[in-house]
Amino acid sequence: MKFKTFFLQRVLAWALTIWIGVTFIFFIPRMFPSSPVESMIAQMTSRMGNLQPEQVQALQKQLSIQFGLEGSLWEQYVSFLWNGLLHFDFGPSLMSYPEPVGNIIGTYLPYTLFLSLFSTLVAWLLGNFIGLLAGFRKNARSSKILEGIAICIYPIPYFLVALVLQILFCFVWRVFPLQANIKLSADFATWFGSLVWASILPAISLLLLGTGWWIISMKSLAGTTAEEDFVMFARYRGLSEATIGRSYVLRNSILTQITALAMSLGGVFGGSIMTEIIFGYPGVGTLIQNAILQADYNMILGTITISIVAISTATLIVDLVYPFIDPRIRYS
Amino acid sequence: MKKRSIALLLAVALLFTMVLSACGGESNSSSQGSSSEAGTSSAAGNESSSEAGGESSAESSEAGTGNKAAAGITTEVGTPREDTLIVECQSSTDCAGQFNTYMTGTGTGFGIHQLMSAHLWEMQTAKGHQYGEVVESAESNDDFTEWTIKVRQGIKWSDGEDLNADDVVFTFNMIKENDNIGANSYTNMYIDKVEKVDDYTVKFTMTEPFPRLDQCFGITVWGCDWRIVPEHIYSTVGDVTQFKDEQPVVAGPYTVDQYDPLGSWILYKLRDDWQQSTLGVVGAAEFGYTADQVPPKYVWFRYLGDSTTKQMAMVNNEVDVLCEMTLEELQAMTEMNDKIGAWMNEFPYANADDPGAKGIVFNCGLGAPYDNADFRWGICLALDIDALSENIFSGAGRAAPIPLLNNTNVMQELYTIPMTEWLENFELDLGDGTKFKPYDTGYAERMAQKLGYEGTEEEKINTFGAGWWKHDEEAATKLLNKAGLEKVDGKWQYEGKPFTFEMSYIADSEFQVGRGVQAAFNQLQAFGFDCTITSKSSSTWSVDDTNGNYQIAGYWPSGGNYLKDIYRPFTGFDNTLIQPVGQNSQGGYGGRWNNQRVTDILHEMANLSPEKDEDKCYELATEMLQEFVKDMPVINFLSGTKFVPTNSTYWQGYPCADDPYDGPWWWWSCFKYMLPKFTAVEG
Repeated sequence: MKFKTFFLQRVLAWALTIWIGVTFIFFIPRMFPSSPVESMIAQMTSRMGNLQPEQVQALQKQLSIQFGLEGSLWEQYVSFLWNGLLHFDFGPSLMSYPEPVGNIIGTYLPYTLFLSLFSTLVAWLLGNFIGLLAGFRKNARSSKILEGIAICIYPIPYFLVALVLQILFCFVWRVFPLQANIKLSADFATWFGSLVWASILPAISLLLLGTGWWIISMKSLAGTTAEEDFVMFARYRGLSEATIGRSYVLRNSILTQITALAMSLGGVFGGSIMTEIIFGYPGVGTLIQNAILQADYNMILGTITISIVAISTATLIVDLVYPFIDPRIRYS
Repeated sequence: MKKRSIALLLAVALLFTMVLSACGGESNSSSQGSSSEAGTSSAAGNESSSEAGGESSAESSEAGTGNKAAAGITTEVGTPREDTLIVECQSSTDCAGQFNTYMTGTGTGFGIHQLMSAHLWEMQTAKGHQYGEVVESAESNDDFTEWTIKVRQGIKWSDGEDLNADDVVFTFNMIKENDNIGANSYTNMYIDKVEKVDDYTVKFTMTEPFPRLDQCFGITVWGCDWRIVPEHIYSTVGDVTQFKDEQPVVAGPYTVDQYDPLGSWILYKLRDDWQQSTLGVVGAAEFGYTADQVPPKYVWFRYLGDSTTKQMAMVNNEVDVLCEMTLEELQAMTEMNDKIGAWMNEFPYANADDPGAKGIVFNCGLGAPYDNADFRWGICLALDIDALSENIFSGAGRAAPIPLLNNTNVMQELYTIPMTEWLENFELDLGDGTKFKPYDTGYAERMAQKLGYEGTEEEKINTFGAGWWKHDEEAATKLLNKAGLEKVDGKWQYEGKPFTFEMSYIADSEFQVGRGVQAAFNQLQAFGFDCTITSKSSSTWSVDDTNGNYQIAGYWPSGGNYLKDIYRPFTGFDNTLIQPVGQNSQGGYGGRWNNQRVTDILHEMANLSPEKDEDKCYELATEMLQEFVKDMPVINFLSGTKFVPTNSTYWQGYPCADDPYDGPWWWWSCFKYMLPKFTAVEG
């Protein structure tokens, strides 16, 4: 009964979060000072010459219908909730009309997921492992060095690291191509090889900084846990340091990191815009950037709705799984 | 323990070094035979490196003839570099594999109209000459309500079918009948019927007298929206606006060989029968190209991302032509690779013939004082063109004195220089009983002296322009006073209140105008204007422009052309198009400048033939330009100044100041007609 209430509360919070998020993201682009219809007309008149006022009006109407922008804001909103949120049909991309937004996102999302998931998970594992060692043995010299490195790396903007990597490895040493070239039409092995090759530098740039953050946070958590009474008691019991580290410090410190990982995993749908731009890596981040610049409402809605749903769902899953991981919550 | 750690660290470092050597070493070895100057030797053959790797070596040994600079090098898309011209495309596409330009999202500038499309008329920008591409000849009746065009014979589609009247008739009727096509509205406005007379003759019946069929339905600048499609393909398609045309049948010289499904590049291949393409047939007739002037076998259009990446790619010889960089970026590249050049190989480097003079636009729709010519002239005389130009591109660029007129070389010769006497005698009434002659012909000489530019008088005028407007703060003050402004404690006031205005510019493109506005902002602030400055994205500007949501904006308000007949670029200044602020107004490019005489001239020119009534058209055009000067609706700074980098490590023959057979417009449809001039560099 308790779990049922807990479950319903969490699901309700999840649905509410998504609804508020997508409502904001529906209305915000419509408050932009730009308009896809006017942009399109401007492009057309720059090539064809000026149009009569009545022609402009006709064109505005025609493009509004084409782009699904006809009707009141309320009608558009209801239509979006039904089609976009419930059926994930965001309509056509306004700038790549009539290609459906879903198709375009479907093309680019796997690349973002591959890059971001890989770098996030590896950074999490690596960072937490190093952070645990550093926190658990915080007086050791190696711990201090590792913490120093992490503190130095973490504040560097990830795009700066990306730029340095590009200059060194693509321009000076010419190991990697300046722009990613993923051979989608080739056989599987060639395609996968080209994907991995294109992902190495972007992944390193994300990994370096991600690892730094996990090291710092885990060191802090592990350091605090290592001073808890139950750890001291374990030492008095004569347990080995490895067992204390694994069963006492890690298990108690990792809970916060799991929540943070879930949030990070949800965030990978947004991509890493600058990394993608610098390395020419195809991904959702670039789509979001272009959509905002070109006032492509449907694309903005599509990409950000997916991101909102992903983060919310990740948080929900963590909330639901947490009681199974942490007995304190289960029995509270 | 310590020793073990150090050993592990060394082992990792060693492994890392080995990996680097393995990956990088091969590329250096393939650089032989390429340019070795300026640090490009290691760069030169590197396109066969890395992931091109294994597959490239076999192909390259087969491809390499040994006598080309690029011999033995294979591109990332598997083609021999000596056969592949690499061209930058300014944006990627989300619609990879979509080659039907009548679908909205198609990236026409991704090589599609440059290499594959066929248009009725095409443009030779260097000479200011429009010529028929699909059209052999065109004749109208006396009142220009009917046009009969002859279609060129001998052009074949890439599947071997003849291009003939059926294709032209089908294309126009397809546009007329389909309101999802962008050009539908304009086409229906002027064209009533398009009918086939015989296999190579088409009759256009217009809705009104229409003397400029060639200018309005052909290319005068970048391209146009009337591209002839193969009737035998498109007539079988249900909805042409939903037809991707993934394997296009084309009349241009290239077909699609491969493309990146993720939208970052397209590889085009020269048709085996390219001499039956538009380039083969029209190139021979219009440019005298011979059969041995074979264009590059492959043209690889690729998107290179941000500006830094573009520079690195060109320095490393991974791209042959870029679209546009800043002066500073160009200079940085030329210092690292001396095979990189531009229109001129030394300062000022740039081509100043892009048909879009950059300057500031006043929103006359806001009323006083913006709609007052004295106010606009006051602002103009408060500006110092020498300092503006130095701030924009260190003095490079041709001054553009006549408002709205793009002072390209052709336009300067046709209009600005012949108008010198009128310009020199033109006077402004300063409102205090005195008059002032604002025209200044000393700009070119001053800039040449400042920059150490040596050349003949003619060269200086060609480079820096025939003149601009004097910087005279006293005259500016009098004109502003006349317009109702008053300087109190060093700050300008209007109607007794502090006068402020916002200057805006487009942030995500247009280096030239952005820098110009920033410099003008500083000068006007120093002159006592309490103005602010802001930047906008292109999409925001497109709305603000047409709706009149700005006060003074940096832009290129006149979409010029290269023809003597300047009617068409100025049709937007017809005051019947003007709408109130807040509504979409195409009039005056959103500036809502209202001049009745200009409107009358435009209406009169509309019914004149640029050929049959050439003198009258020229006379009216000159009068219209004089009206522009009198009213100063916009202040042009410099003509469109483009730094378009080229790399002659592997390819040569690009248009340049020494061989100006055309402008460096790789992103325009006329690019195909430059390609027979491009040759692979010998090793």
